[in-house]
Amino acid sequence: MSNPSEINGGSAVAMIGKDCVAIACDLRLGLQSVTVSGDFEKIFQYGGNFVAFTGLATDVQTVSTELRQKHALYEMVEERSMEPNTAAHLVSSMLYSRRFAPWFVGPLVAGINSTTGEPYVCSFDSIGSMDVSHDFVVTGTATNQLYGMAESLYEKDMSPEQLFETISQTLLCAADRDAITGSGGLVYVIEKNGKVTKKLLKSRQD
Amino acid sequence: MFLTRSEYDRGVSTFSPEGRLFQVEYSLEAIKLGSTAVGIKTKDGVILGVEKRANSKLMESGSINKIEEIEKHIGCAFSGLTADARMMIDHARVEATNHAFNYDEPTSVETLTQSVCDLALRFGESGEGQERVMSRPFGVALLIAGYDERLGPQLYHTEPTGTFYMYDAKAIGSGSEGAQAELQQKYYSNMTMAEAEILLLKVLKQVMEEKLEAKNVQLAKVTKEGFQLYTTEELEKLVADLPADVDQDELAELS
Amino acid sequence: MSRFNPYGDSSGGSSLAIAGADFAILAGDTRHSTGFSIDSRDQSQIADLGDGLFLTSNGFSADAKQLVDDLRTQIKWYHHNNNDHKLSISAAARTTMMLLYGKRFFPYYVNPIMIGMADDGTGAVYSFDPLGSYDREPSRAAGHASELLMPFLDNQVTFANQLDPQTGEPRKRLDLDLQTAVDLVKDAFTGAAERQVQVGDTLEIVILTKDGVDRQYYDLRRD
Repeated sequence: MSNPSEINGGSAVAMIGKDCVAIACDLRLGLQSVTVSGDFEKIFQYGGNFVAFTGLATDVQTVSTELRQKHALYEMVEERSMEPNTAAHLVSSMLYSRRFAPWFVGPLVAGINSTTGEPYVCSFDSIGSMDVSHDFVVTGTATNQLYGMAESLYEKDMSPEQLFETISQTLLCAADRDAITGSGGLVYVIEKNGKVTKKLLKSRQD
Repeated sequence: MFLTRSEYDRGVSTFSPEGRLFQVEYSLEAIKLGSTAVGIKTKDGVILGVEKRANSKLMESGSINKIEEIEKHIGCAFSGLTADARMMIDHARVEATNHAFNYDEPTSVETLTQSVCDLALRFGESGEGQERVMSRPFGVALLIAGYDERLGPQLYHTEPTGTFYMYDAKAIGSGSEGAQAELQQKYYSNMTMAEAEILLLKVLKQVMEEKLEAKNVQLAKVTKEGFQLYTTEELEKLVADLPADVDQDELAELS
Repeated sequence: MSRFNPYGDSSGGSSLAIAGADFAILAGDTRHSTGFSIDSRDQSQIADLGDGLFLTSNGFSADAKQLVDDLRTQIKWYHHNNNDHKLSISAAARTTMMLLYGKRFFPYYVNPIMIGMADDGTGAVYSFDPLGSYDREPSRAAGHASELLMPFLDNQVTFANQLDPQTGEPRKRLDLDLQTAVDLVKDAFTGAAERQVQVGDTLEIVILTKDGVDRQYYDLRRD
């Protein structure tokens, strides 16, 4: 109860493949050890950008909604779509604006740059420090487990199919070793040609 | 000689000038007063048998118990003071369960036998930190039969002196001399359990004063499957099927 | 007013074990640290207990050492009392439990893992919590990187969450061959050394088969 980031539980991971990115999260929402919901999606779509929020559920909802507003405003004012790195900086500045009363969230941004075609993943701490990665990023209560899985399963230049399998196994096995992450998973695979595949993963329910 | 003895046979823990502990030696005599008990080892298991001597016709023979289970895989027959045997068996049961608890494995038969013998010298004045159990040596000998994964079937004989030896076949108690001589002659190492049953009953029959019947013997076996007492029905069948042995003396007379 | 703390944070990195049909592997890195300081880059944490048993105890090093000494004493006494018979791994595991639970109210601050060959010839891994609760398992990781290593072992040793591509049913467990298992150990530790600062330098692997013991060493990152 003392750590707001670990009350509701939940984790997410994003990975870069060859001309594709994938982002995945679990579906659990809990109040400490009690599972309240098994369909709490933590990934939100903003145009071509996918942002996962883990942490305190109320802040997940607040920040994701506020980001929706800022993203819509950006596209209206700029009359162009938002690139993933822009989305990442937007998230970063939103979080840092609350430097001394932070939102208890650990976001991930995943997307493909529409002009360069480069896949992009980025993770943050709760006050907006960016970590742009060339392979994978993880967040949530199963952070350690996700790192262990991803470090040993990840390979460079995976196809969308390989990437889907890798990120799914990473999420599922990590979730099984964290009591407050799980109840199924959600995976998005985003390809350079604009194709987006959304898949739900079944997993053990304990 | 008698005089020398009487000076040194009062203190249980005093050596005589010849280096003897008379009370311990006398305890061996107590065993010779006990009913006969026989153990025979085969490659498949060990058989224990005792004669049950009823002092009176009014006595329920079923209440005489001279073979006891110690653990699933170990049994014990005894001759001598029954109450002393009870103490040792209690101790053995505690040691066996302790071993199972401490090591998650059945105790080996030898280890168990050793732990029983550790009791034997706990008489007289107690040493520092050692509990004194008895004021005198035990007056009982045990035949410990067991089966373990390491050595298979085993038969041990323990005495009040605290020593123990492993046997193929052993008899103790009042008829032990005759019985042991008979075992010596008739025992062979690749005996089957069925053959051992017959040999054991024959040996008992020879040394018993009463006529051998299902109600005045007690039999038990320890095999891979564990300790098992023979039921009255099994005993009745065995006794009935016992081949009528031709008496050696009669045979000699005939020829 | 400060009070003396009997426990320290001096510890070995991480260790891991895998059991196979006819082998058992125990591996640990050789980095030893206190907090964020590295005390040693070549401190073995795998103890040879004799009788074909090997043990690692991650946690507080002084307690780990004491546990090994206790166990060696116990094994010596077992030999004295049981005609020099070898202590089986199941009996050794129970002995370890008795030692740990014997200090129920001032526990050894360790998570031991023991390997050996079981009576039926299969490889055995036993793992313990600091109070002595224990179990035989297909694989186990302990120490600083246990959270990183364990899900990977679930996935690659017991095939957790893997489906058979043909049938779509959960992939059947099969016994790993030795080389696959050794490669898994190396991969697992390379990954762990990447993310856990207390893990690194050298990986020491003890491989147990019916033919005896083999030791291998493998470089990990040293930063």
